[in-house]
Amino acid sequence: MLSSFSQKDMIEGEHMQEWFDSVGKKFVLAFVEGDRWKLYFKGLGVTLEIALFAAILGMVIGTVVALMRLSQKRNGKKTIWARIAGVYVDIIRGTPSVLQLLIMWFIVMKNSQNGVLVASLSFGINSGAYVSEIVRAGILAVDKGQSEAGRSLGLSKAQTMIYIVIPQAIKNVLPPIGNEFIVLLKETAIVGYVSLTDLTRAANQITSRTYEAFMPLIGAAVIYFTVIKILTILLDKLERRLRKSDNR
Amino acid sequence: MIIVKDLHKTFENNHVLKGVSYHVHQGEKIVIVGPSGSGKSTFLRCLNLLETPTSGEIWFDGQLITDEKVNIDRIRQHMGMVFQNFNLFNNHTIMDNITLAPVKLKLMSKEEASEKALTLLDRVGLKEKADAYPSQLSGGQKQRIAIVRSLAMNPRVMLFDEPTSALDPEMVGEVLAVMKELAETGMTMVVVTHEMGFAREVGTKVLFMDEGRIMEENTPAEFFANPQCDRLKEFLSKVL
Repeated sequence: MLSSFSQKDMIEGEHMQEWFDSVGKKFVLAFVEGDRWKLYFKGLGVTLEIALFAAILGMVIGTVVALMRLSQKRNGKKTIWARIAGVYVDIIRGTPSVLQLLIMWFIVMKNSQNGVLVASLSFGINSGAYVSEIVRAGILAVDKGQSEAGRSLGLSKAQTMIYIVIPQAIKNVLPPIGNEFIVLLKETAIVGYVSLTDLTRAANQITSRTYEAFMPLIGAAVIYFTVIKILTILLDKLERRLRKSDNR
Repeated sequence: MIIVKDLHKTFENNHVLKGVSYHVHQGEKIVIVGPSGSGKSTFLRCLNLLETPTSGEIWFDGQLITDEKVNIDRIRQHMGMVFQNFNLFNNHTIMDNITLAPVKLKLMSKEEASEKALTLLDRVGLKEKADAYPSQLSGGQKQRIAIVRSLAMNPRVMLFDEPTSALDPEMVGEVLAVMKELAETGMTMVVVTHEMGFAREVGTKVLFMDEGRIMEENTPAEFFANPQCDRLKEFLSKVL
């Protein structure tokens, strides 16, 4: 009885050894051989570059579009700007972002050689629509009395927005804006469609070169996760700092 | 000082003001009372055009302010307003709440405005709260600050929209005391309120509004002692 146990243990031990060896080989194949780890980081660089530019552009477009959508005539009717902004948001939200990227690449900017630029613009314009809705909701969530008080003191509409409403709206919008950044960062994984080599495409290329999917794909996933976790921690810190003024 | 001619205001299908005409003279303290939904707050908010009248004219210091070409921001600098819900700027300290408008509108330097703010805060007994945020104050304190904030603009007239309605009962007194003191300085005031004691004591004229019209107007003594119309008699019997 005793010996048969130990025999089984030995066989399992050998399996274990084999498994470790093969994992090690796969790891070397996916990351070390031919300095492949550099490809992931190059890809990550492209991903971050596009995401960063698109996020900035999205914030600018989103804020402007939100203010356009909220603009009113003296009689309370929508302005022409509000209508234009509404159409923009409708179109962007009503079409897939992959398609928007392809249209930008093959039609609108077909003469451009700068893929990162085209992708950044495409994602920025896309993100702007979502950000505008977040900003609009954030502004509307600020009590109407705040702007009435500002206007009753003789401040103009713009001054009331800048000094009173928007600072309070920023606190409201920070969590959903953080969410939008995260979605945007991951959404850039589709730039492979326009032959840019981002992190996802890099992992995919290594998979097809080594006939081994596990390590490159899981590796890329871990890198995305780590970047987003860091981003989340930073956003949390910022939010906590902004909330300091309303200690009740 | 303020002349209102045949003012109408309609929200959607709701005809709130049905032809209000009135003349507020310099130094008067006009107190407006009436049941809820009578249009008294809407009337007050029309005076500084927080509500745009549907028709009618409002003249302020000889200027027709309902004219579309008038720069209403300039007019509002001279008309202070105090709200039911205080509406202090939550993102600013008390000091910044008071100095923001005069400084940003370039009416005073930062130093002048701060000095003025401290003097006014001292008058309402809240000097030590200058660096606090609104969320750290009680309702009564907030409303006294809101009055100070309006006064910092050196307004020619002060509008009060139910200034004590959102307060706990024990805080009503401190706000009314500040308003009474303000009245004694000769400030022109238009006050919408449910405080009949204040109307009797401070008002130079008391108006009764109901169903979008001014139903009765009289000196406080006559207003409370000899109400003329039935609606007012009924109203007074309920609130007194």
